[in-house]
Amino acid sequence: MKFGLAAASQKSILQLDPRTKLCLLIAVSLIMVGGKTVGVEFILRILCAALPFVLLLTVRAFKSALIYVILLGISVFCEGCVIPNLSGTPNLVLMILCGILSRFVPGYMMGWYTVRSTSVSEFITAMDKMHVPYFITIPFSVMFRYFPTLGEEYRSIHDAMKMREIGQSVKNPFTYIEYVLVPIMMSTVRIADELSAASLTKGLCAGGRRTHICEIKIKLYDWLLMFGSMAMIALFFVF
Amino acid sequence: MEKKFEVKDLITAGVFTALYFAVTFVVACIGFIPIFMVFLPLIGPIFTGIPLMLYFSKIKHFGMITISSVIIAILFFVTGHPYPIFIFCISAGLLTEFVLKAGNYQSIKSCVIGSSTFSLWLLGMVIAFFFGFRESYFASLIDGYGQEYVDKMMGYTPTWMFFAMIAMCLIGGLIGGLLGAKVLKKHFRKAGMV
Repeated sequence: MKFGLAAASQKSILQLDPRTKLCLLIAVSLIMVGGKTVGVEFILRILCAALPFVLLLTVRAFKSALIYVILLGISVFCEGCVIPNLSGTPNLVLMILCGILSRFVPGYMMGWYTVRSTSVSEFITAMDKMHVPYFITIPFSVMFRYFPTLGEEYRSIHDAMKMREIGQSVKNPFTYIEYVLVPIMMSTVRIADELSAASLTKGLCAGGRRTHICEIKIKLYDWLLMFGSMAMIALFFVF
Repeated sequence: MEKKFEVKDLITAGVFTALYFAVTFVVACIGFIPIFMVFLPLIGPIFTGIPLMLYFSKIKHFGMITISSVIIAILFFVTGHPYPIFIFCISAGLLTEFVLKAGNYQSIKSCVIGSSTFSLWLLGMVIAFFFGFRESYFASLIDGYGQEYVDKMMGYTPTWMFFAMIAMCLIGGLIGGLLGAKVLKKHFRKAGMV
């Protein structure tokens, strides 16, 4: 499974504009993290929880959609059926765990959808159209590109440690952190250099206005979704 | 030294902010246990100080840390933190900028102090527990996390705790900075990477 800003030609049923995705992301995380579970906000929460699931299906991320539903299902089930029957410490622990799961997971899934379904050039084009200055856009796109690499690096380091039979035997947490963090930092420095070399060949520092090959347009359903998320945020603040 | 601000710097800022954010995120996960939430400003910077020091050693121009802090603020805002995080992040970034500038971007001492001032942005994450945000924030927590959790958190966070957290940030950042300097000396200076 590919993580990170997707290739431009990723097949998707619903081609949303990155700006729409950003709107939806803000709406989902605002409402899910800060919302109450009664009244109008209850309906808003259901909508927001369903949104990442539907969107993940549109990019054919079936596995993550399934994981998302299971996680959310478990936490809702626990909140509804298990927690009222418990008391004391288990109640508290489960309550916090479920509270965190049901609050933060939809936002992260939405973020994951955004990252997965947007290519770097789409992202940069959209940011350019929003008149975001380049000194914000470039670090941001580098960052999204770098997150998946970070995961890969961590796994490789983990494997290397396992092969040399380090890892389990390291009891001191500071030593363990040193063993993991130092190689990651080394590779970070190297990757930063490589990326700047790549950007040099692509003429990123040439100055002047950049043109774009990929087309980004706000279509009808983009307007609808954007309006919808605005309305949700408005409702959220009113009630 | 006085070269122009380049795309290379922006890429360095992006990569290191990603690393910093990832480490922060991992450490912040322990903040889900109520008592650790209070000590997050102390524990967090100790770990994040190590990559931060490497980042500082790569900084040659004015503005890079401010960019990093803006990016961190945007990321946390998008994942559902309240808006004051912008104020804290950007002021911490600017403050650090001036600290590093004072050391001409070379002195290790100012890097360590910078690591301590930069971690002040963490206050933006916990501000919801204090001052004007307190009542409404805890009210919104009650039906998600339960009365018991809210009572616990309220007990842990009297107003003076905020000022204690400022001190925790500074001390944590200082320890992290020193630790980072040690790691840099041990691993990176030898390899000629700093």
